[in-house]
Amino acid sequence: MTGRPASPSTLATAEEPVVFVIDDDPSVREALSNLFRSVGLRAEAFGSAHEFLQCKLPNVPSCLILDIRLPRVSGLDFQAELAKADIHIPIIFMTGHGDIPMTVRAMKAGAVDFLTKPFRDQDMLDAVTAAIERDRNSRDEAKVLANLHALFATLTPRERQVMALVTAGLMNKQIAAEIGVAEITVKIHRGHIMRKMAAKSLPDLVRMAELLGIGPASGRPQT
Amino acid sequence: MMRNPAIRSWRAAEQWLLGSMALALGAAAGIWLLLGPAPTTTPYFIAITLLVASLAASVIMMGLVGRSSRQMEALLQGRASAEARAIETLRNSEAQWKEVFEHNPVMYFMVDATGTVLSVNTFGAAQLGYSVDELLGQSVLKVFPAEERQTAQSNVAVCLGNIGRTHSWEICKIRKDGSTLWVRENAKAVRLMNDQPIVLIACEDITERKQAENALRQSEMYLAEAQRLSHTGSFGWRAGSDELIWSEETFRIFGFDKAPSIKRATVIQRIHPDDRARVLRTTKRALSEWKDFEHGYRLLMPDGSVKHVHARAHAVKDTSSGIDFVGAVSDVTARKRAEVELHEAQASLAHVTRVTALGELAASIAHEVNQPLAAVVTNAAACQRWLDREPPDLKEARATVESIIRDGNRAGEVIQRVRALVNKATDQKTAIHINDVINEVISLVQHQLLSHQVMLRLELSPDLPLVLADRIQLQQVILNLVINGIEAMQPVTDRPRELVIRTCQDETQIMVTVKDCGVGLATENLERLFEAFFTTKPRGMGMGLSICRSIVGAHGGRLSASANAGPGATFQFSLPSNQEGAP
Repeated sequence: MTGRPASPSTLATAEEPVVFVIDDDPSVREALSNLFRSVGLRAEAFGSAHEFLQCKLPNVPSCLILDIRLPRVSGLDFQAELAKADIHIPIIFMTGHGDIPMTVRAMKAGAVDFLTKPFRDQDMLDAVTAAIERDRNSRDEAKVLANLHALFATLTPRERQVMALVTAGLMNKQIAAEIGVAEITVKIHRGHIMRKMAAKSLPDLVRMAELLGIGPASGRPQT
Repeated sequence: MMRNPAIRSWRAAEQWLLGSMALALGAAAGIWLLLGPAPTTTPYFIAITLLVASLAASVIMMGLVGRSSRQMEALLQGRASAEARAIETLRNSEAQWKEVFEHNPVMYFMVDATGTVLSVNTFGAAQLGYSVDELLGQSVLKVFPAEERQTAQSNVAVCLGNIGRTHSWEICKIRKDGSTLWVRENAKAVRLMNDQPIVLIACEDITERKQAENALRQSEMYLAEAQRLSHTGSFGWRAGSDELIWSEETFRIFGFDKAPSIKRATVIQRIHPDDRARVLRTTKRALSEWKDFEHGYRLLMPDGSVKHVHARAHAVKDTSSGIDFVGAVSDVTARKRAEVELHEAQASLAHVTRVTALGELAASIAHEVNQPLAAVVTNAAACQRWLDREPPDLKEARATVESIIRDGNRAGEVIQRVRALVNKATDQKTAIHINDVINEVISLVQHQLLSHQVMLRLELSPDLPLVLADRIQLQQVILNLVINGIEAMQPVTDRPRELVIRTCQDETQIMVTVKDCGVGLATENLERLFEAFFTTKPRGMGMGLSICRSIVGAHGGRLSASANAGPGATFQFSLPSNQEGAP
């Protein structure tokens, strides 16, 4: 790891966002770190993609500022590599001379912004703010989803089956017929599901099912 | 002999005359005695006495006459034989001289004032293919070719104008068969007894000599012409008298009037003052060691112009001629000028290729300037924010300004380097570290390496001696080799593109090696690689390597290429270490 190391006190703060910078030019990454520190943002700088991957990423809102030309791997290839590795960090690209195809490819692959060196400091800070915001949101969403998955995991297989059929819009009678139990049993399962999933209403449960990706098919018994 | 009967008859006649006179007197006395006085008379005795006396007188007289006539006869006879001997001798002499005249291997002519041949010897006529009779009475002009007749006539006129003086000349004659011969004629006009002037001419055949002379003259002319054409004169140096014997061309080169010899001191004054001491050192050493020598120097001509000459001399072991050194001196001014022009042209071309190479590197250079510029702009913004804080963070602001200065200088250095490469005037050799030069070039091609995904491996030997070289020219060479290497690896996709730059040294030189793993070199192209306008690149000018080789050559080194054992090619150049005697 190169560049100015973040102070130990800021590292301790779990929710403080981090800006990661990858540029092979020490002057550029030092200047960026300096800029971010001057606005109170924590920055971590790396000379190569490889160095970046060696570092354990903290679980805080963050973004990555990436020079499009990097030694060995290009910035665009690295973007794809991260996506493949399921690392979803918002990326802001920098380049000495951006051309349109490069920009299009970067943006299509989900880049937050594409800045040409030398850039205006405000443009960079705006992009970073937006990127961190986006990351914060996606992190929140991910947190909700993880919560849901945890709740869903507490359900029994029968309850999961019933939940799928309920959220698919079937009535208790139909569900009973479908799975071959008494209607009263279905009602008991529903009660358990609503409580376990902390669902306030049926539409709430349907939204949860959507997030969990549970369709009616998953509710059907294996035949 | 023929006169003898005449003399004898004359003597007999005398005797007969005297005898008959005495007898006539005796007869007269006898007759008178018979007819006249008595025998006892006095007259009778007188007559008898007279008779006896006349008989006695006639006998005495006859005896006297006979004696004197015998004496006379002897005298006459002696005179006649002497005369005959003299005539004989004269005749022999004449015949002898005639022989000499006729057969002496000299052509003799005797012509009159109008040029008519009065006499010619057989040899003379034969030499011209004529008989004597064919020439006698003819005009002597007959034996001269048309173009020589005028000369012949005037020569005869000159002789006639100076009677008694000998004149000589060389002239061409024509034989009866039309062939020519060269003669040397000695002529003299004399007056005959009748006061008529004639010209005596003796001619000697000098055709062979003339041919030899002509051959020699021609050979000398060829030599002079060759000297003139090649601007090379010859010279001999008599060290003893410190004289120089020069050919015409040597006189022309040095700008002196032709003379049999010239003093060395005079010549030395013509040598450029800056070169004089060196020339004297060289010649002094050559003289003391009695060794061949060779040197180049300049002449400062009276009109202020400068000539470059190159002289080479051989020590002559045979001193019979008095010459100690024989040599040749060439006017190499034109060659020197051409060399300078060539050098200038090469420098211009090198400049063009340098600029072309920089054009290829435009993106790389822009990147190299842009990076520190981006850092400067970003740092400046950060600095502003540090200052805008309440209270301003001056410590951070100061540190940031330091970074700005550093990065600003870095951008400036890149521009400086590019400007130096774009600069036309180079050729300033200084002692430099080759590794520094390589690093400077690398800083310009970083981006190029990156965009072509080339891994650069530097294996620079740390303790290299300095080299005496022109920094920009060496940068150009290395830049060219690196760009070539990068381009050669462009099509490579199945292996890492690696470029190795290595420096090393041996006792006398340092070596720089640039090795790629690209498409490599075709064996048939190896020899032509360094030729001008040879290129394997679709848009290449074909000047790069040719110029690199001439640059390295101008530094006393050598640039070579070889195919790798594996894929790719290796270019290597050597430079002499900066020691005494480095160029």
